[in-house]
Amino acid sequence: MKKLVLTGIGLFVLLVFSILAAIFVGDESVSISAVSEVLRHHLIPGHSTSVSATVDLIVWELRMPRVLLAMVVGGGLSIVGVAMQALVRNPLAEPYILGISSGASAGASLFFLGFLPPLLSRTLSLPLAAIIGGWVSLLIVYLVARSHGRISVARLLLAGVAMSSLMAAVTAFVTLLSPEPDRLRGVLFWLLGSLNGVHWSQVPLPAIASFVGLAVLLLMARPLDALLTGEEPALSLGVPVETVKRILIAVAAFVTGTLVATSGAIGFVGLIVPHAVRALVGVSHRRVVPFSFFTGAVFLLWADVLARILLTAQDFPVGIITAITGVPFFLILLRRSGYRFG
Amino acid sequence: MFQWARNVSRFYIAHARSSPFAPSPLSNSRDFVPGFLLFSLAVLWGCGVKVPNTAGTFTDDLGRKVTWEGRVERVVPLAPNLTEILFAAGAGDRVAGVSISDNYPRAVEQLPHFSTLPLNFEAIAALDPSLVLATDQVNSTRDAKTFAALSIPTIFFSFRTLSDVPRVLRATGAIFGTESIASRAANDFEGRLERLLSATDTLTTRPRVLFLIGEKTLFSFGKGSYIQTLIDLAGGTSITSEIENDAPVLSDEFVLVARPNVIVGTFDKDFNLSRLLEYHPTWRIIPAIEAGLVFRLDPDLFLRPGPRLADGAYLLAKTLHPALMDTLLRAVSP
Repeated sequence: MKKLVLTGIGLFVLLVFSILAAIFVGDESVSISAVSEVLRHHLIPGHSTSVSATVDLIVWELRMPRVLLAMVVGGGLSIVGVAMQALVRNPLAEPYILGISSGASAGASLFFLGFLPPLLSRTLSLPLAAIIGGWVSLLIVYLVARSHGRISVARLLLAGVAMSSLMAAVTAFVTLLSPEPDRLRGVLFWLLGSLNGVHWSQVPLPAIASFVGLAVLLLMARPLDALLTGEEPALSLGVPVETVKRILIAVAAFVTGTLVATSGAIGFVGLIVPHAVRALVGVSHRRVVPFSFFTGAVFLLWADVLARILLTAQDFPVGIITAITGVPFFLILLRRSGYRFG
Repeated sequence: MFQWARNVSRFYIAHARSSPFAPSPLSNSRDFVPGFLLFSLAVLWGCGVKVPNTAGTFTDDLGRKVTWEGRVERVVPLAPNLTEILFAAGAGDRVAGVSISDNYPRAVEQLPHFSTLPLNFEAIAALDPSLVLATDQVNSTRDAKTFAALSIPTIFFSFRTLSDVPRVLRATGAIFGTESIASRAANDFEGRLERLLSATDTLTTRPRVLFLIGEKTLFSFGKGSYIQTLIDLAGGTSITSEIENDAPVLSDEFVLVARPNVIVGTFDKDFNLSRLLEYHPTWRIIPAIEAGLVFRLDPDLFLRPGPRLADGAYLLAKTLHPALMDTLLRAVSP
């Protein structure tokens, strides 16, 4: 227990440090006093500032929303990863296993490249098209997996994989047919997952989604533990297994759909973080869920810092960074610890 | 030489066969003799006189030695800039078909179009070309292997700097035997750029320019790109001229700090400033945005390394120095 508290405190300190560091780091070097000036100017009413408008915009409108969104997305994807791994009792599961991300990608590509009827495309926006695509894909998977009021996990997995392939094919098809090279480049960047060009207005919705997801999964920590032992044992423990499954799918749809619509399909966070956290604090979901949230937040935060500073003046899709930095670390972790899933 | 003789004989025989008055060369041995004599004469004549536009070899920009037989009557360019170069170099009448992205000159509208992503080999083979022109920016050498299997030679051109345009124009003239037209086009290109340079060289106010390809994702051009030379010629200072990557994706922060005076871009046709600000709200304090100096440029004049880059350079100069260029250009333009 003492070790757990220490880990928790360490993680919290790391999180605060990461947020501050991420605000300082970037193309333009900004002094500590300038950052605190800007923060006080915006957080304390009536506090005037002597900082230049450029620095103010860089700190408050470019870096702050991006830092916050990185945390929210990293945390949200990680806990959905936990939920999906418990739902299908498979260590390979991740937030995108039910076809949400590929559906969202297909929806976004269809919209962005102008393949939707004008009436539809005028009322939609890119995030909305993405979330609808994700949900349509998930709905089909859900309907295939459901029979006689039960959800078959095996069918869920297979239908998810199949739908992912189908939606990836749709995405590839429309990107190849696209007549507009400019839009095509934009979509390719989006598909790789990027936090580039985030504004304040894009932060609240993903934040709400992630925190609601966190709250729901924290409340369901015990049923999730039971589910990992298998459906029969869980039932005998009095867990309403089918209801739990439906709630998990709904959480995945809400959280993953919102996050993917905002930042594209950022990969590997939702797969790696839950496993890394289990290796650290054990399998109990009372610990795995909150620890995954904060670890995921810190991980994506640093991945995005790297994406920002790797090449001077240039932006890099963070999805590439998460894979390049996360996967080797993950492989070492798998090799070294006596890690067991469930 | 030997190859040429073979082609002449093939031409002669084909011609003899197709003529309704010519006897079949093998039906009667006596009739065959004059034919043979004529053929020998042709060979002897060929030895003495230099005939252009026959079998040729060319070492292309990838260092590949390309050979072909006979005069190139049908050529297929795989990219729009190659089409424009062929027409400017006087070989436009021998273009057998163009890609679906081609739209210039107007004559290409009458030609068959083939898709390029991926290359439609069947459609191109059906055009029966004796030569294919490719560029390593768009095409891979794997494509050349496929064409080789179809007995179609492929020449690759590279476009790295502005000087590659007149160079390829002249090379095209040599390949198609239209040297004089091609070298006139090349000289014209070089002359126009030189005249522009002499007009802009003395400018003391050179606006800081941001050249974009996309409005949402900020694709731009880095150090090695010919776009940097174009901006220079047009009397501007590019803010991306020191970025190592050829095709960088810029961050909002970089643009905010670099404070460009003018933003130009090969944006979509429906481009408008308010949408650009919607994507990049922090740019509201950038001089270019404050002064409303954001312009859409015709992509074809900038993204196709061909003769019309000179038009692009003049257009950009006019965009950057509207008042000044009116008087200057009247004095220097052809």
